[in-house]
Amino acid sequence: MDCEFVPSVCSYCGTGCGVLFEVIDGRINRTLPLKSHPVNQGKLCIKGWNLHEYINSYMRLKGPLVRENGRLEKATWDEAVNQAARRFTRIKEEYGPDSIGVLVSAKITNEENYLAQKFTRAVIGTNNVDHCARL
Amino acid sequence: MDMVKAAKELLLQDKVDIFLGYRKLDGHQIPHGFTKAHVDDLDQLEISLNRYPLEKIACDLTRKDPTLKIGILARDCSQRALNLLYTWDQLNPENIETLTVNCCPSSLSTHGDCSYLKPKITGAYKKAHGIDYNDSPKNFMAEHDSQDRLSRWMYEFQKCIKCYGCRNVCPVCFCKECSLEHPNLVEPGVLPAEVPIFHLIRATHMAGRCIDCGLCEDACPAHIPLRMLYREVNDAVSDIFGYVPGDHIEKSPFSIIGKTVELTPAPMDV
Amino acid sequence: MTVKRIAFVQELLKFMGLEGRLHLEWISSAEAQKYVDVVTKFTEKIRNMGPNPLRAINEMKKAG
Repeated sequence: MDCEFVPSVCSYCGTGCGVLFEVIDGRINRTLPLKSHPVNQGKLCIKGWNLHEYINSYMRLKGPLVRENGRLEKATWDEAVNQAARRFTRIKEEYGPDSIGVLVSAKITNEENYLAQKFTRAVIGTNNVDHCARL
Repeated sequence: MDMVKAAKELLLQDKVDIFLGYRKLDGHQIPHGFTKAHVDDLDQLEISLNRYPLEKIACDLTRKDPTLKIGILARDCSQRALNLLYTWDQLNPENIETLTVNCCPSSLSTHGDCSYLKPKITGAYKKAHGIDYNDSPKNFMAEHDSQDRLSRWMYEFQKCIKCYGCRNVCPVCFCKECSLEHPNLVEPGVLPAEVPIFHLIRATHMAGRCIDCGLCEDACPAHIPLRMLYREVNDAVSDIFGYVPGDHIEKSPFSIIGKTVELTPAPMDV
Repeated sequence: MTVKRIAFVQELLKFMGLEGRLHLEWISSAEAQKYVDVVTKFTEKIRNMGPNPLRAINEMKKAG
């Protein structure tokens, strides 16, 4: 049986607390705070304590899914992106650009946040973009 | 060093299958499980200044494979935790080998981050409105009257964000269905936590169980003086029942049905 | 077992500042008069203690 500990950074909010994963036989079993990390100094919030739960969850998405006939079916990236683009264009033509809103979050990188707001303002043509921390 | 040699011997002579100690990785001192296959990694073994609950990791390993033989680098508090876990049948004493290290400060070595060895500094506002970390329970009872005590503890408990860090890091907490997650006792999804019931539930469960390692206080993001609270709880247990958790392998008085000490219900004083 | 737990919880509440609010008494179902006496006495004692101090603290917190 193998037991090793891997230091990492929490994937939730923008604070970036240091965490330590207990890996037994290649599977993440428990999360502990990293006591010598300068940001959190050995303390975590409830989201950070439960990182190991979602990593191994059966509910994680493994590929793009497209809703057809009321059910979610597996699709390729091209099919999914094309269908999303078609539907957004149709909604924009029918109801106007201000009917679409975009929500970004601290879980994605700053560069992705910039891309999302540029997409909303330049491509869709609306100001309806907001962030979970009102950034 | 003798420690490295002793640990290598334990692995090479097959007395243990895995040895839990600390090593340095990217500047952080973190725990590591050394195995026979990589026995030369033990040259990096060191006593960490940052303490982690190695007994909890041993419990996790035992849950997956009950026949596994584990070696642990144990400080004084780890030794007490192991005694308690043997009492509660979480670990088998025949499968555990300990390498005891001294955690008391001396002129030769720096000490770990235990708040007994390096006391925490309490600020002025906290001393005036809350509770001093380094206070002793008897002192606290003597200095403040009933209403003062209540308002001070409420000041501390109201900061709780219900992160469950105290329970997650505690080396002697192992219940699969924790009372703190029971919907009838602690309403789920409500913040701030219902004070003081959350902490009183935890304090009642720590009676006869807390071994005073201080990891809960280190893990609390709201700086609540938990170590002092559980120390008082166990002082009450040792005064009434004469039981000190972790000293020997004997069962807690709360888990034995029957008289351990002569007690009569206290009369109502009007 | 009950006596052990009640003795301990009374100590804990005393430390917190909520003392005197828990009482244990062994009463058989045949001792009806004793039951009445104990309950009346305890209710009087609690009433004399005044309103729940936790409520006052929570109201103060809500007021800001």
